[in-house]
Amino acid sequence: MKNYFLRHFQVLFFSLGQLAKSPVASLMTIGVIGITLALPSGLYLLIDNVQRLSVGWNSNTQISVFIKKETSEAEVNKLVKKLKSNPAISSVQFISSQQALAEFKELSAFGDVLNSLDHNPLPDVLLVEPKKSITEHEDLKKLVAGIAGHSEVDIAQLDLQWVRRFHAALNIVQRGILLLASLLGLAVLLTISNTIRLAILNRRQEIEITKLIGGTDSFIRRPFLYSGWLQGMFGAILAWLLIHISLLVLAGPVGELTHLYASEFRIQGMGAANSLSLVAMGGVLGWLGSRLAVGRHLREIEPR
Amino acid sequence: MIEFSHVSKRYLGGYDALKNITFRIDAGEMVFVTGHSGAGKSTLLKLITLIERPSRGQCIVNNKNLLKIPKRRIPYHRRDIGIVFQDHKLLMDRTVFDNVALPLVVSGCSYRDIGRRVNAALEKVGLLDKSKLLPIVLSGGEQQRVGIARAVVNKPPLLLADEPTGNLDEALSDEIMDLFLDFNDHGVTVIVATHDLRQLRRLRKRVLQLQQGEIVNDKAPIP
Repeated sequence: MKNYFLRHFQVLFFSLGQLAKSPVASLMTIGVIGITLALPSGLYLLIDNVQRLSVGWNSNTQISVFIKKETSEAEVNKLVKKLKSNPAISSVQFISSQQALAEFKELSAFGDVLNSLDHNPLPDVLLVEPKKSITEHEDLKKLVAGIAGHSEVDIAQLDLQWVRRFHAALNIVQRGILLLASLLGLAVLLTISNTIRLAILNRRQEIEITKLIGGTDSFIRRPFLYSGWLQGMFGAILAWLLIHISLLVLAGPVGELTHLYASEFRIQGMGAANSLSLVAMGGVLGWLGSRLAVGRHLREIEPR
Repeated sequence: MIEFSHVSKRYLGGYDALKNITFRIDAGEMVFVTGHSGAGKSTLLKLITLIERPSRGQCIVNNKNLLKIPKRRIPYHRRDIGIVFQDHKLLMDRTVFDNVALPLVVSGCSYRDIGRRVNAALEKVGLLDKSKLLPIVLSGGEQQRVGIARAVVNKPPLLLADEPTGNLDEALSDEIMDLFLDFNDHGVTVIVATHDLRQLRRLRKRVLQLQQGEIVNDKAPIP
């Protein structure tokens, strides 16, 4: 058993040595794999960051409450008081119909048209802000329904539509990245498979001799599998470096932007778990690609 | 040690390399297989090492029926046979030591044993002082001796040689053949395919003469 591990260890070092023997070729392969893996991983990281950024937006949601036309000011004040006492609500802002009209006149180009109207068409509006702790969409919906239940309220509307659309769009992008990642993973597989194929053909004579003196297929296969695994893993490590160098380059401008928005947001790197799975994924792809080439080509090489 | 009964080998395309061959070689024998090129010498050796399978007939080597050895067991069968090639088949990018060590590495020998046994084999063929060199800087005769050291390093009971002196002059050929003779004296069964008639006359061992895939003469050793 000890011998078994020792032999694997030797093969590992032998494969490392083989890679070091032709550094340019090895680096080129590793470079291609690195860039191929960096693309989907980088995009994934980007989406991840955008998602974290937009989590805050949910809590900035407002509920617009339109008051029925015939409601008196006293009744509206009573409603405001009632809403303010609701533990799920953090603030209520009252905008009277006159205020709304003045604002609308100022912001739109319809000033003259509005002046010609004999009465104010706008209702009184309450802007209700839910507590920050309420982020679940279902809870928000319940709150809105509760507000709409008051007799003074015409319509209560959650201004969440655009956030939800944004999240839906993110989901599509995420799915797209998954597809891209699968395709590029396949590309890594084929790259390694081709590299190993060339390595096998280069060492054709050696393989033939090894078979002649009693080397088993698994003995002959082993260094190629290790080589593929190593190249895939090194490629993944390179991808990780590429991503984090890019993040360093981006950190300055992003910091400036978030500062302007008075936000605490900071770009986050891959984290230990994701980094490890990236490297592991590279290794697995390398091993599989090598396996693909070895299975096909070692059988063809038989002593004559 | 080796028993062929009614063995034929027909290659793809219909060429008959061996036709209904029957012979027997006992353990400890030294046998020359001779004949013109194309007579079937190489095919005979390929059947013993399972590089080729017979089209008909039965081969028994090392008490094993070759028909019953599946493809995946072939490596283990070959570990019991030392093979010497006319063109040495050495790895030119590895040292002499590493070349000779290959059969031991392949069969999972421990590190300490490898050093000891490789040095013993190299000493036997008189190349101990050249173990660190690459084969490419050695002469033809020396390269062939490295090939022989590799063939015997794991002490196989059977040694096969295919035209081992094909490219060597007389003095070197004698040296190589004397090495085989020496292994035979130590109990190794040796089969040498050669058309070097001078060696046949010199060593006076048993001779199997092949002609167009048939055994036309089986000469007993001359005492």
